[in-house]
Amino acid sequence: MRVLLVEDEPRLAANLAAALREGPGFAVDSALDGDTGDQLAAQRCYDLVILDLMLPKLDGQTILTRMRARRDATPVLILTAQEGKATLVDLLNRGADDYLAKPFDLGELLARCKALIRRGKGAPHPVLTLGDLEMNTLEQSVRRAGVVVDLSPTEYHVLEILLHHPRRIFSKEELLEHLYDFNWEHHSNVIEAHVSNLRRKLETAAPGAEPLIETKRGRGYRLCIEHTP
Amino acid sequence: MKLPFRLRRPRSIAFRLIGAVLAVELLASLAAIALSLAYEHHAHFRTFDIMLRGRADSVMGAVQDADDPGDNVMLDRADLTVPQDDLWEVFDDRDRLLGRSANWPADATGLLANTPAQFGPMPDGVLTNLRIHGHRYRFLLRHGVRTIDPSEPGGGTPRHITILYGMQTGHVWGAIREAVKFYAFGSLLLLLATGPLIAWLLHRGLDPLRQLATLSTRISVDDWQFTPPDLARETPELAPLTLALESALERLHRSFDQQSNFVSDAAHEFKTAVAVVKSSLQLLTLAQRSPAEYRAGIQRTLSDVERLEQLIARSLTLARIERAPAPASPELGSDFAAAVRMAAEELASVAEIRQVAVQVAVEQGRKNPVQLAVDDARLLVSNLLLNAIEHSPEGATVQLLLTAPGDFLELTVEDHGEGIAPGALPHIFDRFYRGDSSRARSTGGAGLGLSIVKALVTRAGGEVHIVSRLAEGTIVTVRLPVAEPVEHN
Repeated sequence: MRVLLVEDEPRLAANLAAALREGPGFAVDSALDGDTGDQLAAQRCYDLVILDLMLPKLDGQTILTRMRARRDATPVLILTAQEGKATLVDLLNRGADDYLAKPFDLGELLARCKALIRRGKGAPHPVLTLGDLEMNTLEQSVRRAGVVVDLSPTEYHVLEILLHHPRRIFSKEELLEHLYDFNWEHHSNVIEAHVSNLRRKLETAAPGAEPLIETKRGRGYRLCIEHTP
Repeated sequence: MKLPFRLRRPRSIAFRLIGAVLAVELLASLAAIALSLAYEHHAHFRTFDIMLRGRADSVMGAVQDADDPGDNVMLDRADLTVPQDDLWEVFDDRDRLLGRSANWPADATGLLANTPAQFGPMPDGVLTNLRIHGHRYRFLLRHGVRTIDPSEPGGGTPRHITILYGMQTGHVWGAIREAVKFYAFGSLLLLLATGPLIAWLLHRGLDPLRQLATLSTRISVDDWQFTPPDLARETPELAPLTLALESALERLHRSFDQQSNFVSDAAHEFKTAVAVVKSSLQLLTLAQRSPAEYRAGIQRTLSDVERLEQLIARSLTLARIERAPAPASPELGSDFAAAVRMAAEELASVAEIRQVAVQVAVEQGRKNPVQLAVDDARLLVSNLLLNAIEHSPEGATVQLLLTAPGDFLELTVEDHGEGIAPGALPHIFDRFYRGDSSRARSTGGAGLGLSIVKALVTRAGGEVHIVSRLAEGTIVTVRLPVAEPVEHN
């Protein structure tokens, strides 16, 4: 999952980015001012945008309004130190999905981020299931036919992305976008390696079952449920 | 805001105006009555005097040549018809009483008791008012000549005749009284009629004032809306009041807005600073860490706390400067040149770390007292200098120059840093404002330095200006009045 963090206080941004990377293992891009934030958000490769309101150059409200004007449905979590319910109501009306008042609890922020991403993918429950595959996004654990599958963080995230949209084909580039922030070198063969490892681990857990991850040559990967073509 | 109540306590303007107008009206009618009295008196007595003269003349006409050899005259009463109330007597020049009215008082005294000789020197036409038996009389003295036997050679014999004729004046006074009574009654009626009319007109005339007052009472802390009625704005007497109210409200509103902006800005800053500390600590608890990681995390958190501490300290400093009244006593005047040197020494290590050279030039030979406490003067200079150092690239020079071109001091702080964007210049003294947020924050500024400078300069009665060009640098000029007359050492 890739998160855009727009926050002008550098220490707070650093802490949040560290927490998001460390906890749920998200890829995080940080923008220290509104302009940069707006440009990054326009790339539409994020699963969540965390937006501070008072920003230099361009305020958070404008960024949000522009996103929604582009019909960008990415979930937006507002961070605010401003008083007053009126602004919050206004923000929610403008298309914000949630808000947190500073100073907030880091654990709560992470929980809300995860919930927002999940809901953004159309999964209201933290446990995603598909056939005999079960993914608990809170524990970050995966089971197949009741057997725990031990995945590396990247493998977990690849599976999570695929599991949010079963049967949808994800290209390697798309997977890369959601897995890594701009600080990483992008190599599509890294994805290939991760996917093949993931596929192997899932098959080991349920020997004899049909392969879960399907490769569409030249187009990408998708999850397919057994018994369906 | 309590205008109507204030007005009522001494008595309403309308009441006072109506009272004044009625009093003036009353005075005017009294004057009119007095004038009418004088006029009526004059007119009636003129007529009266003419009549008196006529009566006297008719008595004169009744004096006839007596058919005796002595060329005497006599009064022929047969043709004499004068009112019976009148008093009169006639003498000839031989001091003979030719006749007098039947009602001539027997106990006559004074004028009436005069002998003909006594009347002699009195001029013709003298009028005298007398009171006889409770009646007012007006007497006329007439000297006349009656010629006896005018057909004789030599023109006959002239006989001098003196007539004293008196008429009662009671009915004249009655007529005058009636006339004056009429005027007085008329005036009173007018007064009674105009009173309510004036009250109504005044009430209408004071309408704009009342509207203004009503609108003013609606102003409260929650509702600053004040749109004065056009009537009040256009009425010459009310326009200054309306304008004053409007501008006072506007200033108040602005200052309230500024205050609430400051509070919300401050809240934002403090909450953010606390959020940093909190998140730094919570980040450490997210996972099991090695002692080295904990140590590094605690170090980071400590520096976050230090920044919070600095933010609080600076906010309190600013609040102290802005709230405290300006020191008027000259003993507070501190040597500004010393403050400049102290600030430069204080920040020498910071400049060294950033590899920025600081040049201090102070015009010598003068005392430079300013209206600031020593610490505040130093704070002013150090804030400016720190700002300049922080915005200078490595190897650059910051120049501090203190001159005293007149009865004021001028401090210029010049850096060759990246400059301030023209769009940011008007806000540079705003509290918590940062020209470029991320950079300013990374240098540790709370966005209060220049606000503190501005507050201190304002307090010392001076002014501060900034000239800046992008990529060339910034020059801050502070002008402070010298606290005492400049003395040469």
